[in-house]
Amino acid sequence: MTPGPGPLEQHDVRPARPRTSLFGKYFRTIFAAVVAPLLIAGGSEAWLGYHDERARVNELLNAEARLAAVKIKDFVDGIRDQLGWTVQLPWSEDSGDRRRLDALGLLRQVPAVESLSLVDADGRERLFVSRIGLNRIGGGADHPAKPAVSGARSSGVWFGPVSFHDGSEPFMTIAVAGNRSSVGVAVAEINLKFIWDVISGIKVGRTGEALVLDRPGRLVAHPDIDLVLRADEAAQRPFQTLRAAILARPGEAETGRDIAGNTVLAAMAQIPGVDWSVIVKQPLAEAFGPLYTALWRTAALLMAGAALAAVLAWWLAERMIGPIRLLEDGVTRIGAGQFDHRIELATGDEFERLATRFNEMAVELSVSQERSQRISRLKRFLAPQVAELVDRTGDDRVLDGRRVEVVVVFCDLRGFTAFSARADTGTTIRVLREYYDALERVVNAHEATLINFSGDGAMVLVNAPVSRPDPALRAVTMAGDMQRGVQKLLAGWRALDRRLGFGIGLAMGPATVGRIGSEGRLDYTAVGNVVNLASRLCASAEDNQILVDLVAAQAIRSKVPLVELDARDLKGFDQPVPVFAACK
Amino acid sequence: MRFMRHAFADAADRMGRRDFIALAGSATAWTTLARAQAMPVIGYLGSESPERYASRLDAFRGGLADAGYAEGRTVAIEYRWADGQYSRLPALAKELADLPLTVIVAPGGAEVALAAKSATAKIPIVFELGGDPVALGLVDSLSRPGGNLTGVSSLSVEVSRKRLEFMREVRPGANLFAVAINPASPTSESQSRNLEAAAHSLGVELVVLRASAERDFSGMFTAVREGGAGGLVFSSDPYFAYRSNQLAALAVRDRVPAIMQSRDFPLAGGLMSYGGDFSQSHRQAGRHTGRVLKGQKPSDLPVQRVTKVELFINLKAAGALGLSFPASLLTSADRVIE
Repeated sequence: MTPGPGPLEQHDVRPARPRTSLFGKYFRTIFAAVVAPLLIAGGSEAWLGYHDERARVNELLNAEARLAAVKIKDFVDGIRDQLGWTVQLPWSEDSGDRRRLDALGLLRQVPAVESLSLVDADGRERLFVSRIGLNRIGGGADHPAKPAVSGARSSGVWFGPVSFHDGSEPFMTIAVAGNRSSVGVAVAEINLKFIWDVISGIKVGRTGEALVLDRPGRLVAHPDIDLVLRADEAAQRPFQTLRAAILARPGEAETGRDIAGNTVLAAMAQIPGVDWSVIVKQPLAEAFGPLYTALWRTAALLMAGAALAAVLAWWLAERMIGPIRLLEDGVTRIGAGQFDHRIELATGDEFERLATRFNEMAVELSVSQERSQRISRLKRFLAPQVAELVDRTGDDRVLDGRRVEVVVVFCDLRGFTAFSARADTGTTIRVLREYYDALERVVNAHEATLINFSGDGAMVLVNAPVSRPDPALRAVTMAGDMQRGVQKLLAGWRALDRRLGFGIGLAMGPATVGRIGSEGRLDYTAVGNVVNLASRLCASAEDNQILVDLVAAQAIRSKVPLVELDARDLKGFDQPVPVFAACK
Repeated sequence: MRFMRHAFADAADRMGRRDFIALAGSATAWTTLARAQAMPVIGYLGSESPERYASRLDAFRGGLADAGYAEGRTVAIEYRWADGQYSRLPALAKELADLPLTVIVAPGGAEVALAAKSATAKIPIVFELGGDPVALGLVDSLSRPGGNLTGVSSLSVEVSRKRLEFMREVRPGANLFAVAINPASPTSESQSRNLEAAAHSLGVELVVLRASAERDFSGMFTAVREGGAGGLVFSSDPYFAYRSNQLAALAVRDRVPAIMQSRDFPLAGGLMSYGGDFSQSHRQAGRHTGRVLKGQKPSDLPVQRVTKVELFINLKAAGALGLSFPASLLTSADRVIE
């Protein structure tokens, strides 16, 4: 950018960087506007999803627990039903053999039955068959498991506590009574290891599993049979803790730890009769796997959304800020005086309108700058007041050529040519400057127009280009002031040259005034007879004398005392010209 | 090739035949191990020959497969066979214990398990037997074995008395029965007592016949036939079990009603069998081995009891002997061979 000339240079300072940028504001606003709803929607979806999923998993685990309980119950009930077949008919003397076959058949059919004894109505053991031990027929002794017999008699079925043979294998006694007391009771030892076939077949989800605890909390069945066979109650503590947690809030799936220390989600169902608890558990990570997947998906979508919003916000802010920057740049250029600069914006919105305004402003500024330059040129030959007037009206048509009544004042120094030939250049220049300064001060004070200096002379116009009231009087008064001012200087200069003097001539009349000149040079001046007359009067004036023509003298009348001198023959005038001198 | 053969022959001559075979054997062992490298290695101690163990080995490999191991691909097995000479078992076990093994499998009876136990207290040992491992001193308890041994126990030894009971049902009229005992077996004492007690309960007399080698078998059957015993009841013993076919042939020859622990006996023409299902117990041994391979400590692995006890009866054999099975046996039989 080329800095403009003159006083405009001071505008060519770019404004300081703003503390906050509009781009940042726009970016943040747009980004927030997009991301906030996204976050709210994503967050609430995740929250609701979590609750739905929790409820679903809860429901699922509870259903699995019930199903597992039903399967275990079926196992126990199956054995109970099989035992029921052996207690159908009352004991008689000849029924022993048939009963024995029934019992042996049961042993073959139900592998979980380790041994079976049949007890008659009197509580005596009539038959005992076993896979391991010797069979006994008609022993007649009281059955050793009395609570089993009495329990079965009172409630039909009796389930004994779980015991661990050799401290390892879980066994349980089941006693089943017939529908009459005379048919007796069947008491069977059940090897609970066989529940493994059932429990290992239960799969909860992908890796979840089921387990069975008896009433005191000992492990009866688990897919890992070793845990059962180890019969280590201390190691099984986590299961009991889990059961206690579920019992504290029935129907809810609880989070806890299994034996391996893994976090699991567990639900429970009770098996009536045996009073066992079936716990189903699933690793937490697996149970909530779909939830975690959904959460991750939501998070990923939120991230992608935020990234998209950032890009969008950046793009939009850039789009908004782009025209603003263009405008800023354009305004800076125009402000720096580059009025031919045009802001090219075709956004079709307010920005474009604004740009158009700025462009129009630039045109106007250009025009007004041209004018002000013209006016500043006028100031050279106009009194500051006149120049100001022209400036104020913003119109230099006052300088256009026209014919008006003016007072032309000529003045010059006498004997200056001889003086300048003798004096050195420095002195000549100094003397002339002091002389011009004095004249200019006076001319300006009287709001006259200094047309030009030429050597030791000057030409001054009154009533043009700006008309003034009573121009003749003004001109005479001014001439008087000029004489006084220059005579003061002459008093100093006469030390240099005694022959120096100063004379003034003025005349009033119509003249053609205006800007007159060639292409390269333009001056404001007056042309007419009155100019000649004033010039001749000046030439014929003596030192310290002001000569006034008849028109001016008549215009002055007696406001200033004038003395009529003899009419003089002046060069270019056929008749002698009446001349007046202003009194000092 | 000719040169090679000469070189081998020369080497064999110089070293003596036995040394050469031992060297060749250890060379093959070394290459097996080298090939295995990353694979865990199982030492398998067998009391008999691979042929006699064939069905047991199949079950064992099945168990390994259950645990996710396949011989030659994910696990290598180093075999040692005693070929029926049980006195060689401790030396063979020692040989295995000197190899860099992950686990030693000692299936097929108390003798094998005890030999393995005597060979190492460090390498985990998985046994398979029919007796009570606690009574045999192999483990502290079934739930917590405690040492470097764990394994599978079937109920074969405990149910010896049931065999006497079944035999008596087949021969209800007889009062005298013969019992075959292998005096070399670690469980012979307890089984003798067990059978005596059962005989007392059942009210019958027992004649105890001892056999610890194949050469005793023939005389044993002759003694039963000539002694007028109602039948021959075999105590649980792997030595007998692995020779079921031979014993069945003798029983047919001498027309002796007999009952054994192994199903192979009635399948080969013998009268009946009652004992643990060896295919189940060997399979379980395979699974146990798999768990040890996966890093579980034997001391934490409870001894598993295979609870299935199976009764096989052979109607054809009964017919040939002029016997008929009572309804109770027909009802209880898991399999009836016709």
